[in-house]
Amino acid sequence: MVRRFLGTLLLAVLGAAAAHAQENVPILSGGVGVLGASDGGAPSAQPVIAPVLTIPIGSKWLIESRADIRGFIAPEDGTTGPVQGSLSTTLEYLQVDYNATSWLTVTAGRFLTPFGIFNERIGAIWINKFESAPLIYPIGTARGYLDGIMTRGTIVSTPGYSINYIAYASTLSTVSNLESQRSAGSRVGVFFPKARLEIGTSYQKLLQGNRTNSQGVDVSWEPDRVPLDFKAEWAHSPSGQGYWFQTAYRLSQFSGPDSFVGRFEPVFRMQQFLRGQAISGDELPAHGAQEADFGLNYYLPHSVRLHAAYGRQFTPTRNTNLWEFGFTYRFLFPMWPGGSK
Amino acid sequence: MNGTRKIEIALICVLTAFSYAAARANAQSASGADAQKKSAAAKAEGSSKPDESAEGEKRFQANCGRCHVAPEDLNPRVVKAVVRQMRVRALLTAEDERLIVKFLAP
Repeated sequence: MVRRFLGTLLLAVLGAAAAHAQENVPILSGGVGVLGASDGGAPSAQPVIAPVLTIPIGSKWLIESRADIRGFIAPEDGTTGPVQGSLSTTLEYLQVDYNATSWLTVTAGRFLTPFGIFNERIGAIWINKFESAPLIYPIGTARGYLDGIMTRGTIVSTPGYSINYIAYASTLSTVSNLESQRSAGSRVGVFFPKARLEIGTSYQKLLQGNRTNSQGVDVSWEPDRVPLDFKAEWAHSPSGQGYWFQTAYRLSQFSGPDSFVGRFEPVFRMQQFLRGQAISGDELPAHGAQEADFGLNYYLPHSVRLHAAYGRQFTPTRNTNLWEFGFTYRFLFPMWPGGSK
Repeated sequence: MNGTRKIEIALICVLTAFSYAAARANAQSASGADAQKKSAAAKAEGSSKPDESAEGEKRFQANCGRCHVAPEDLNPRVVKAVVRQMRVRALLTAEDERLIVKFLAP
C-alpha cells in the first residue's frame, strides 16, 4: 500500500515537474555572421558566433549567458601579404537574475557594463545597425564586462512615464577570460511610452588605478507613426569626451515591411571624439576624430540581415575610408524537443 | 440452467445496462458542463483577452521594439524564457512581462 502511494506520488511529482518544465524551456539563441571591413585600405573579415543561453528556473530566477567566438582574418602586414587568421573567445556575460519584486531584479555574476545604451541594448551583432561600435564606446564601459552585483528595475510606471534604474558594484579580477575592474556606477532613465522617448544618464566611478569618473547622457526615440529609430549618446571622462547619433529608417511604409522595398533600411551615424588626457589602456582613439557613416541594411526572411556601409573618418594625422559589408543571422531554439505548443 | 442462474444473468445484464446508461448520462452531463464552462470562459476571454493582447502588443512595441523587431516564427514554448530575459534587459515590470507573454503566445 505504502509503495503504491509513493509510486503514485512520484508520478504526480514527475508530471508536475514535466508540466513546469514545459513552461520554462531553456533556449539557445544568438547570432551568427560574417563581418567584412576595409579600414583605410586594410581588409579584414570576422566570422562570428555569439550564442546566448537562457535558463529560466521557477517563476523568479533566470540564468543567462552570452559568448562571442570570433575569428579575425586579414593580410599579414595589413594590406598585402599572406592572409592570416586568429581566433578569440570572450565570455560576455554569465549572470543569475532574481526578480525579487515587480520593480527590483538582483543580478550577480559577470554582466555587460550598463553605461549608456549601446553596450547593453544594441551592441549585439544582430541588433547593431553598423558592424563597428561608436568611437566613445570605451568611456564608462572599458572592456564592456564586469564581475559583480547589480540591481535594476522600473521604480515608477504610469501610462504617461516610467523611471528605470540600474546600480552596480564590481570587483577586480585578473582571472583569464573573466577580467574585471573594481568600479561602481548607475544609470537612471525616464521613458515616455506615448512619445516612445527615453532619456537616460549614466555615471561610473573607477575604484582602482587613476579612479576616474565617467558620465554620460543617452537618448532613444522611436516615433509611433514613422518607422524611424533615433539613438544618441554623449559621454565624458578624463580621457576625452564625445558623442554619436544614429538614425535608421526602415522603408516599411512603402508596400509594407515584407515587400522588396520595405525590407531596406538606410542608416546614418555621425560621431565625434575629443581627446583629453592621454591615459594608457583607455582603449579610446589616440587622437580626436570625426566620422560619418552611411549604411544600408536589407532584412531577408528568417532573421537574416545583409549589411553594407561606407564611412569617412577625419583625424589630425590622416583621413580614411571605412567600408563594411557582411551578414548576420539571428537564431532561437528551445533546448529540448517538444511540440510547437 | 436453473432458475437461480437465470436470475443472476438477468441481474448482471440489468446492472451492466444501468452502468452503461449512468456512465453515458454522466459523460453527457460532464461534456455539457465543459461546454458551459468553455462558453463562459470564451465570453470572459472575449471581454478581456483581446484587450490584454493589444496592450501586450503596445508594450512590446514600446519596450522591445525600440531596439529590435520581433523574432520570426517564435515557438510558443520559448516565449516565457525570451520575455523573462527581456524583463531583465529592457527593465520591464512584472505586468509588462505578463502582457507581452499574452501578446506573443496568446
